Order: sequence, then C-alpha cells, then structure tokens
Amino acid sequence: MIRFEHVAKRYPGGVQALSDVNFELARGEMTFLTGHSGAGKSTLLRLIAVLERPSRGQVLFDGKNIGRVSSRQIPRLRRKVGVIFQDHKLLTDRKVLDNVALPLLIAGFSWSEIRRRVRAALDLVGLLDKENTLIPALSGGQQQRVGIARAMIAKPPVLLADEPTGNLDPELSEELMRLFCTLNELGTTVLIATHDLDLVERLGKRTLVLKSGCMVDDRRSAGSRRADSGAGA
Amino acid sequence: MRRKDHGGLGDLRAWARRHAYSLLSSVGTLLRNPITSTLTIVVLAIALTLPLGLNTALGNLEAVHENLDRLDSISVFLELDADENDARRVASRLSSWRNILAADPISPETGMRELAGATGLDRFDVGDVPLPWVLEVTPNATVDIAELAQRLRRAERVDMVVVDLDWVRRLDAILGVFARLVILLAALFAASVLFVISNNIRTEIQRRREEIEILALVGATPGYIRRPFLYSGLWMGLGGALLAWLAVHAGLWFLRGPVEALAATYGASAEMVVPSVQILGLMLAGSGALGVIGAWIAVSRQLARINP
Repeated sequence: MIRFEHVAKRYPGGVQALSDVNFELARGEMTFLTGHSGAGKSTLLRLIAVLERPSRGQVLFDGKNIGRVSSRQIPRLRRKVGVIFQDHKLLTDRKVLDNVALPLLIAGFSWSEIRRRVRAALDLVGLLDKENTLIPALSGGQQQRVGIARAMIAKPPVLLADEPTGNLDPELSEELMRLFCTLNELGTTVLIATHDLDLVERLGKRTLVLKSGCMVDDRRSAGSRRADSGAGA
Repeated sequence: MRRKDHGGLGDLRAWARRHAYSLLSSVGTLLRNPITSTLTIVVLAIALTLPLGLNTALGNLEAVHENLDRLDSISVFLELDADENDARRVASRLSSWRNILAADPISPETGMRELAGATGLDRFDVGDVPLPWVLEVTPNATVDIAELAQRLRRAERVDMVVVDLDWVRRLDAILGVFARLVILLAALFAASVLFVISNNIRTEIQRRREEIEILALVGATPGYIRRPFLYSGLWMGLGGALLAWLAVHAGLWFLRGPVEALAATYGASAEMVVPSVQILGLMLAGSGALGVIGAWIAVSRQLARINP
C-alpha cells in the first residue's frame, strides 16, 4: 500500500533527514518505526502525509508517486491518511466535539451524521462524557485520545502516529496501543513511530529501525497472535 | 467537487453543507471578537462616508443648479426714448418667439426701486438717474442663451442685452471639478477599503495560524480554508457600506436646519437629495466585493506558505 523507493530527504540548510530508504507496508499491516530522536522517524511520517516532499526517490501510495502530485491533489491524499501528532495539533479554543468533527466538516457530512460518528469515535477512545469539554481542560492523555478520535473518524485506510505515547504513563500507553491494535484489526494500516522499545517488544509487530536517516533493520514479527496476548496482558 | 462515492445530488448537498459551515464559522468569528469586528467596520464606514457624503453634496448642488437655470433670465434694455407703449409692443412681439417663455416690461421707476432695494441705497437720494424700460425675458429651458441674446440684440428698439452667464458657467465648472474629485476620492477610499480588510484578515490569519495549519493537515482544500475568511471580508465590507449610508443620512438630518435657513434667504425651499437605494445597493455590492477580494489576497499569500 505504501512503498518507499530510494527515498532521501534533505532539508534546506543541509540537514540530511533520510537517505536511501526502502520499505513497503502492506494493506492492513501494523508496523512500528523506531530509532533515536533525530533518526528521521517524523520525516518519514511527514512524507507519507505529504507534509513534506522527498528530495530524491519515490513515495508510492497505492502505486501513485505522492512526492510528485500537484498541490491541488494534496488535500485529497491527506484525507486518506489519519495522522496522530506528538503535540496533538488540536484547536485549543474549541470543544472536543468540534475538534473530532473537523475531517467530517471538511467532507461536508450532515450535522446529524457528524454527531453520530463523533459519539461513536469518542466512545471508542473512552471520552464520550467529554464531548463538550474545551481542549485545555483535558489531560495530556485525553488530548492524545482526542487526536486519535479525529484521525480515525473519517475512516482513513492509513493511520500514522508520531510518538503517541511520548508523555504518557505506562498504563495509558498500554491502553493506547490496545486501541491501535483494535483499529488495525478493523482493517486500518497502522504505522507508529516510537522510541518506547519495551512496548514494541511486547507487541511483537513488525518493526522498522531508522538510524541517522538510514533504514538499518526490518524485523518481521512472528505473528500477530502473540502481539494480541501481549497487548491484553 | 469530484467525489466519486456520491451522486451529483450528494455532491451538491455536501458542497452546500461545507458552505453553510464556513458561513456559520465566519459569523462565529465576528461575534467572538466583537470589539475587533466593530472597530474594523467603523473604520471602513468612515472611509466610505467621505466619498458618499461628497457625492450626496454634489447631488444637492446639481439640484440647486438646475433650479437656478430655470430662474435664469435675460435683461433687454430698450432705447432711452422708448416709452411704455413701445415697451409693451416689443414685449408682446418677443413673447411670441418660440424660444421665449415670457417677456415682462419693467418701468424705469420699478427698476430704480429694485436697484435701490438690492443695493441698500434707498436711504440716499440718488437723484434723477435716467433708466430705460427693461424687458425681463425668460427663455425656454432648452435654448442656447448666447444665440438668443444675439438675436435679441438685433431686435427693434433694443439698446443693450445683458446676460450674466459667467457665474452660471463658473458654477458648472466647479461642479465638474467636484464630480471628478468625488470619483478620485471614491477610488482612493475603495483602495483603502481593500487594504483595511486585507490587513484585518491578515491579522486574523496570523491569530488563527494554528487552526489553518490543522485544517490543512486533516485534508481541507485551500478553498475550504479560504472560505470563512472570504465571508468575514464580505461581512466587513457590507457592514462598512451600510454604516456609511446611515452616517450620511444622519449627516443630512444634522444639516437640514441650517440648510433650510440658508435656502429661505434665497426664497427657495430646501428639498435635500438623499442618497438613493440604488447607491446603497451599489455600495453594498462594491464594498462587499472589495472585502472578498481583500480577504482573497491575504489568505492566498498565507496558504502558499503552508502547503509544501
């Protein structure tokens, strides 16, 4: 579904974030992306969400080179990718409801349909009672879950998460990962960037390892069964 | 609007909903910042009041001018030895001319009284100044006064024809300058409306930078991001125009008393010309369009920075 072919990204100013990265994500796969901070994890995710364009190589999404699409087509591509940002990127002066509803408002859904879907998504992330709460009144973990609800509400085929467990306690991290596994079981392709190696180890999913912008390892998991029991533990 | 998972009607519905959301969002933004919105609209109204006010003043002066034209008359001085009979005979002959509405004879005595009254010399003995009979000729409104005067000069027993056209021409010229000035000011203030709205939207965009970025991140098209700002520009333009129109009406109301007093000294009635509903419509359309254009310029510049 997503394929990187000899992808390099060099930022203006000479920082080489990625060099010659090759890998492929199959549809419905759940994968972790690890590496030290500064290894290029965020850049890799940003390339998939068309927040950056590669300096060299191709990023293929469903066979389409998204590094070369016109800017007119970018919004349409971004709707296929739900992104969960490390810093949440929520509208802080709005209620939870309005934040989660954004992708549906953009798509022009009716208000009743939006309400229904927002409630379903908030129920899934355990925030149903916070529908009318303003974002600053939520804890970091709750804000993260609002971000997840927003990322999945329009049912995009791909979910990207950048350090979703970054500032959360282990219990919450565990809970979040279980949520990602659930979404993955519902058919979503999931790619999670994290440096929480413990968690990655326990879940036993496929893991890509970046080091200084190069893909140094691609560990295939033994199977998802072990991962499920790990997540449930 | 090329979503393939909907029929044509579904597309249209989604499109209408997106517009409705943008419209509501723009109104929400204005209402959430009542002070900023009010200040902007007042600034725009002031900028629009000046050209509109001048235009209204011009309209009033032109109306006065037309009245003066109709009162315009030609003084035909007969030869000194012409008596009352001669005067009445010439008057009746002239009044039969196609271009002349009336020719009223004025006796030397009446002429003297009027002259004395107008100059305030009635308290002095000005002696026995010989005045001729004068015919006050009122021409047809459409006539070429200079040509008529020429013909009158050649008429029988006419000594002198006095037409004071200079001040009429001067007023005409002044009004011409005035009309150009209004156009110039209107252009200038239209530009200021554009810049005020553009600047205001730019500030608003700076303030909502994060929101715009987030919208772009979750897949909003530039059109979707732009729309609430365009609506904001439209509301500001419309509000400014409406307020300016009301301000000019208030100004006319304020001036009514003194203008009536002034008109009364000329023995005329002061029927002030108020800006028409057409002008209001034109201003709303123009100012609204300028608002949208100003917002468009501001948003497009910001959007170009967000998308890679």
